[in-house]
Amino acid sequence: MASIAASKAGSDRNRTFLAILIPVLVLFIAFNTIPLLTGFFYSFTDSKGYGAFEIVGLQNYIDLFQDARVGNSYLFTFKISVVSTILVNVISLTLAIGLSSKIKFKSALRGIYFVPRILGGLVVGYVFSYFFTYIVPALTGTTSMLASKEWAWVAIVVVLVWQACAQTTIIYITGLSSVPEDVYEAGALDGATGWDKFRYLTFPLIMPSITTNMVLVMKDMLMTFDQIVAMTSGGPAQSTESISYLIYQNGLNNSQFGFQCANAVIFFIVIAVISIAQTKFLNSKEEQL
Amino acid sequence: MASLSLEHVGKKYPNGYEGVKDFNLEIADKEFIIFVGPSGCGKSTTLRMIAGLEDITSGTLKIDGRVVNDVEPKDRDIAMVFQTYALYPHMTVYENMAFPLKLRKVDADTIDKAVREAARILDLEKLLDRKPSALSGGQRQRVAMGRAIVRAPKVYLMDEPLSNLDAKLRVQMRAEISKLHDRLGATIIYVTHDQTEAMTLGTRIVVMKDGVMQQVDTPTKLYNEPCNLFVAGFIGSPQMNFIDVQVSEKGAGVALTFGANTITLTGPKADALKQGGYVGKVVVMGIRPEDVVEEHEYAEGRTLSETFPASVTVYELLGSEAMIYADVDGGQISAHLSAASAVRTGSQIKCAVDVDKIHLFDKQSELAIAH
Repeated sequence: MASIAASKAGSDRNRTFLAILIPVLVLFIAFNTIPLLTGFFYSFTDSKGYGAFEIVGLQNYIDLFQDARVGNSYLFTFKISVVSTILVNVISLTLAIGLSSKIKFKSALRGIYFVPRILGGLVVGYVFSYFFTYIVPALTGTTSMLASKEWAWVAIVVVLVWQACAQTTIIYITGLSSVPEDVYEAGALDGATGWDKFRYLTFPLIMPSITTNMVLVMKDMLMTFDQIVAMTSGGPAQSTESISYLIYQNGLNNSQFGFQCANAVIFFIVIAVISIAQTKFLNSKEEQL
Repeated sequence: MASLSLEHVGKKYPNGYEGVKDFNLEIADKEFIIFVGPSGCGKSTTLRMIAGLEDITSGTLKIDGRVVNDVEPKDRDIAMVFQTYALYPHMTVYENMAFPLKLRKVDADTIDKAVREAARILDLEKLLDRKPSALSGGQRQRVAMGRAIVRAPKVYLMDEPLSNLDAKLRVQMRAEISKLHDRLGATIIYVTHDQTEAMTLGTRIVVMKDGVMQQVDTPTKLYNEPCNLFVAGFIGSPQMNFIDVQVSEKGAGVALTFGANTITLTGPKADALKQGGYVGKVVVMGIRPEDVVEEHEYAEGRTLSETFPASVTVYELLGSEAMIYADVDGGQISAHLSAASAVRTGSQIKCAVDVDKIHLFDKQSELAIAH
């Protein structure tokens, strides 16, 4: 009797699990897996995004590696991603340490620093576009950074960093609060104060947060899109074309649908490899708490 | 090693709450001082003020004659063992113990020697490469102790270091700490709420309540001559029996009456009651369970009072002996019995008390009148 009752309870529970799982799975397959596989298929065609197309085998992939514009977009994307990821993490960790100390208006300040996170990338991009086009030149007497091939990427990094710091800071605050207070107290008695305290205690103990933030920020930066659309449209002279922007622009507007699908597949692999490599490397630095 | 001096030390929090009030204590070199009291009595706060982890809001703290109120914790030359051990989770046992010396820029050879010596004393030699997460509670506790030892500080502070250990390990570690004190000849200040730890370890015990020091004395004196009702009740397990008694003159002595029962007292205790003007008043009589004797129990060498009837409500066999809790006219009483006693729950018995062991307290001020 008991085992029948138990198996009935078990099957009820399974039904509940399935009822929760299936709708999500259907949506995920419909909007993620199928488009991914469709894109993978189109990457072997010469599709313009409309009309008839032919299978061209690996030609798109071969062309990709010979296309200077694609190469430049990868270089640009890697440049802004590496610079932004480092800046975001350094600034956020500094902010988080400040916002975790005994200061007045701590909660209010934490709220203010989180505001960029709730604004859309496009909105922020347009606001900063105005700022760099009109306000900065008016104050400094120079031309707009966004119109300069040498400086436009810096303006984009400024916006990316400004916006990404919000979430990264929150994750660091959480990480810092998970370090037991008594460890710091023991450190204070042992002589770990100031820089020693950070170097020997705080830094190793928040390694899990550092891993999370490095991977998340790097991934977000590699996929930069909104800010490019709002600020430079890839210009001047294609000097700020991120990979995502190039895929969108040439894939949907310039009849290179098949070719850019191949680009997207390669890009997907690149991001996955970087994220896995980062996670593996940083996990090895993490300490078991 | 060092002496400590706390003069009128107080801790007042920004919200006005006074955690410690006017704390005065001289601690001599090599003393093993215990701070004991119930939760929230201010014992840990006092310890943390000595460590420098809490600001001292009034009074003066001196270590070896130097005022250290505003000296950073690291510059006070003290080591602390925390209740939670507070080991560095990302460092191995070796690194944990070496850390304080490394920060003091001690050369690697000296560090290695100090760590291995501490590991040998604490039997940690085989665990040096492990991280704290791979250690048991007792091992972690020993590492925390080791981290303190390697520095050879002036003063060791221990904040309930055994309270997270199971009962058996606690007894073992208690003995280890006692040995360590003898071996290091160290000045140790030890906080606990466990009065057995306090009694067995301390050269002197400081009993605290509500931020106020109640009594400072040797364990024996504290047990035999508690200065007030709180100390009398706190030290000793099970706690001392307290019965309100009416004092009246009886010949050369006095009679203590509770309900229909009377105990006659003569000698210094009776004199103290008379001289204190307590005749005709109610005082509190305190008597420890081991000084309450059932009429069939062996009582050689004791000066017993008149017997009084008691009705046993609870009987607990503890192995080598038994405890009873009984109702008496005018109060309740607990007593130790031998395990062979035939008394059980529901038994109607006759008890007496050892009059030499009676403690008397003022009912209003709760201060001791005589022991």
